[in-house]
Amino acid sequence: MAFEAQLQMAQGVARITLAGSLDAASAPRFREVIEQAAAQEAGKLVLFMEKLEFLASAGLQLLIFARRKMGADVDIYVVGSQGPVLGTLEMTGFHHGVHIQDTFADS
Amino acid sequence: MEPLSLPAKLDSLEKLGSYVVRATAEAKLAAKAAYGLRLAVDEIATNIVTHGHEEAGISGVVTVSVALTDDSLTVVLEDGGLPFDPLSHRLPAEDDLNLPLEERAIGGLGIFLVLKSVDAFRYERAHDVNRNIFVMNRTPNGAA
Repeated sequence: MAFEAQLQMAQGVARITLAGSLDAASAPRFREVIEQAAAQEAGKLVLFMEKLEFLASAGLQLLIFARRKMGADVDIYVVGSQGPVLGTLEMTGFHHGVHIQDTFADS
Repeated sequence: MEPLSLPAKLDSLEKLGSYVVRATAEAKLAAKAAYGLRLAVDEIATNIVTHGHEEAGISGVVTVSVALTDDSLTVVLEDGGLPFDPLSHRLPAEDDLNLPLEERAIGGLGIFLVLKSVDAFRYERAHDVNRNIFVMNRTPNGAA
């Protein structure tokens, strides 16, 4: 399935909804929306991954990029990831660096 | 399945992934094993395209083939790009995986995922051809 990344900004929270396959071929699109979120000085980055079917290391590298681009004080949430995508995040230790949640509610 | 040759470009990853998914379905691999094999092939193909071709200014093709036996499904990637032994590169150590995101190194994750995702992985170089070999064991009744 083709990759999709859609950004919504509201009240300092950047919400990016991901779908399809995220690998080196589709990573530039994800990087583009991270840069848009960073340019708008988001205080939180929320990645909705329920419909993300495939996650390769190029996508993981962009989580590192997002942290560096947006700053260590910007919390990153990964919402709705499941199955092997969640398994990849855990296998590579990324669950230590982001908040893994089933749902996201504004606070 | 017949071998498939694709341009050594990142745009080919999707077709390569579809080919591997079809092979895992024919082999009746369990979902987790099928995903792991696709992931490993995607990671190595990315290195072949990026390091073996694009960064070196080389154009070429990547050929994928499969061999199915009662015991295993083997996927082979062959290319004529720069020699690139994935196993010669440093992998993240356990401590690296626990670092805060901002302190983590960007590289090395792909090979780490390859080795974690398949039952066996080998690299060979012969006659100016790189050969990356991925083996996934077939378990009785498709259980993983």
